Amino acid sequence: MNDKTKKEFIWIVAVLVVLIGSAIGNVIYISMHSQNFAQNVNAHPTYPSNADIVHVEGTQWSWTFVYSNGTTTTNVLNVTVGKPVVLVVTSIKGAEQFAVIHDLSIPKLAIQVYAIPGQNNSLSFTPTVIGSFYFECVEYCGLDHYEMRGYLNVVA
Amino acid sequence: MFSFNALLSLASIGLNGTNLELLYLSVLLGIIAIILFYFYFRLVPAKEYLQEQAEDAGYERTNEYVRDKLSDKPRELSWKIFLYDDSKSIGLRYLFTSILFLFIAGSFGVLMRVSLTEPNPTIIGAAQYNVLMTEHATLMIYMFALGAALGLGFYLLPSHLKLKKDTMGVYSSIAYWVWLAGGIFILISRAALRWYFYPPLSLELTQSGGGEFAWLAVLGLELVFIGLMIASVVIIKIIAFDRSPDIKLNQMSLFSWSILFTVIMAISSAPPLMVGLGMLFYDYFNPIFFITGTNTLLFTILFWFWGHPIVYMAIIPFFGLIYEIIPKFTGTKIYSYNSGVWGLGLLLILSELVWGHHLLNSGLGIAWITFFTTMSFLVVIPSAITVFNFIGTLWTAKSIRTTVPMLFVLNGIVDFIIGGITGVMQSFAPFNEQVHGTYWVTGHFHFIFIGITMGISFAAFYMLFPTFTGGRKYNVSLARWHFALTAGGSYLMAFAWSVGGFLGMPRAVAGYFGFFQGYQDASIIGGVIIGIGQLIFLYNIATSWLKAPSTSSDNAFEEENTGVSKTPSPAGGK
Repeated sequence: MNDKTKKEFIWIVAVLVVLIGSAIGNVIYISMHSQNFAQNVNAHPTYPSNADIVHVEGTQWSWTFVYSNGTTTTNVLNVTVGKPVVLVVTSIKGAEQFAVIHDLSIPKLAIQVYAIPGQNNSLSFTPTVIGSFYFECVEYCGLDHYEMRGYLNVVA
Repeated sequence: MFSFNALLSLASIGLNGTNLELLYLSVLLGIIAIILFYFYFRLVPAKEYLQEQAEDAGYERTNEYVRDKLSDKPRELSWKIFLYDDSKSIGLRYLFTSILFLFIAGSFGVLMRVSLTEPNPTIIGAAQYNVLMTEHATLMIYMFALGAALGLGFYLLPSHLKLKKDTMGVYSSIAYWVWLAGGIFILISRAALRWYFYPPLSLELTQSGGGEFAWLAVLGLELVFIGLMIASVVIIKIIAFDRSPDIKLNQMSLFSWSILFTVIMAISSAPPLMVGLGMLFYDYFNPIFFITGTNTLLFTILFWFWGHPIVYMAIIPFFGLIYEIIPKFTGTKIYSYNSGVWGLGLLLILSELVWGHHLLNSGLGIAWITFFTTMSFLVVIPSAITVFNFIGTLWTAKSIRTTVPMLFVLNGIVDFIIGGITGVMQSFAPFNEQVHGTYWVTGHFHFIFIGITMGISFAAFYMLFPTFTGGRKYNVSLARWHFALTAGGSYLMAFAWSVGGFLGMPRAVAGYFGFFQGYQDASIIGGVIIGIGQLIFLYNIATSWLKAPSTSSDNAFEEENTGVSKTPSPAGGK
């Protein structure tokens, strides 16, 4: 092995070590936190049994939240700190022609789930900090896409 | 019996009934275009001139003549490239069309930036913003990036492969016109779909949905693909069958390899989306696939099966060009030819397996999330090998002449490292949940596209400028200003986006929460600086072209395949 080949070998091995290490860390995280990722189910065995189930309906151009006690809010999501929440997200037809694809993103809590017509995507999370966090539709959905946003209020 | 009126009335259902006159008009224009194309391909007198040239050069089959020179004189750029159908002319057509579209789509980008000065849309309304966003993305990818890649391929491959014949020029010419028609269709469609064309929205033919003429964009994209497929087949045929027998496959220049990988990628990943677009267009008349179908996600999967390879197709040819440009200005050989070929080849294979990372939050399931995030880590390996190869070459060089093309190359490598790292970070599934759909992603790919796709195109253009113009020199200090403003502006813009996106600033929106104002303002300044830089480029090109020729018009890319250049490049400017 000459000097040049040795250097090539070193950089390929270094790249492999870094990337495979990262990939393994990622796989471990996913397997331990699978309830935090959007899945095409209404409920999942890993969801906490005491969770508040909130049905989320994306429409052109607002978010509607239907709570388990029957109340409804638009563009505001109210949850209790420390209590697990399950979001069941779908897309319904509004004033426009069809139901289209939306994407509910709450960046400060690293929560993101697509709202797809005819499909229920769900995930679970537990808010740990009291406060108000913005959310927004991040899948382009027509004229007033940018107004499809609001606040997640975590209260005591 | 076939009834034309019945077909039209069927069509008018999907087109809201109001567009019937438009439909008649387009059928009429289509017939006129076909008649014009008949005259163009059969009766153009320029063809006879070329055949005389070929006979003078001793060609038995005159249609196979590769027209490097005309009448033993270096060919100057003229409008006649649109009449000749040899590989060089086709390349010039693609190249200059792609530059035209770069400026059209780029000005759309600057307009978008300027319209975001206030949290709520003021200067340009949301409807107009959405159209600009769609046109900017679609035209940049399909008309600029692909056009520049194909153009440089058609233009440089005959030199790199020492071509003796080129039998399929007419097909390349048809491919060019079909591709151009597709681009014009997209441009005039005023569609507001993003470049994703996701169906339930793209089927809403209203100004508040996908745009009234969104179907025209679907049709245009299909035409772009047809042109791309024809051009890809011709390029594969040029590389596989027409190259000089002296050049073995393992001696082919890295640029030829990169073009070969690019067109193979195009042919292997575009068909699913071509079929998807056909289904989408059918849905306008008879919605059975993506509305009443069981899964609207089907189209997104067909789209991203193509959508991820295309972003690699937009950079691989420019990696190939970097491999050609570095030896010209450092006087050294590429550090490792084998690493270069394998790096680009592995990109071809691995990039076809990562498309799901664009849909991680759409409910694919844990198993697929794990698969696609892992593959997304692996796809970085060949990119890293390529970058280390660049760095190794620069490291072993005795001197680096920092000419304008070399500045663009150095900046491109740095940009690709930053954009690559911000890209691979998104492979972490939890991080992806946070930044997917935010300006983080926009920052990531603008680093790469401005640094590699646009920067290396400019580097190649500057190197080829004396060849295009018959020996004219560009103004070096203006070119340096062009470089400085482009690089500086892109750093400011993309860094502001990356930081804002990391904090959750959503992309593709006409308005935003007021607390993101600072990041938006910084990126507006960056975007305007880039725009000013391109105006300097235009001024430089225009004034330099008016001067008298003062240097050799030899093609700077022609001298050797992978080795050291014998003489300094005439385009060096120093």
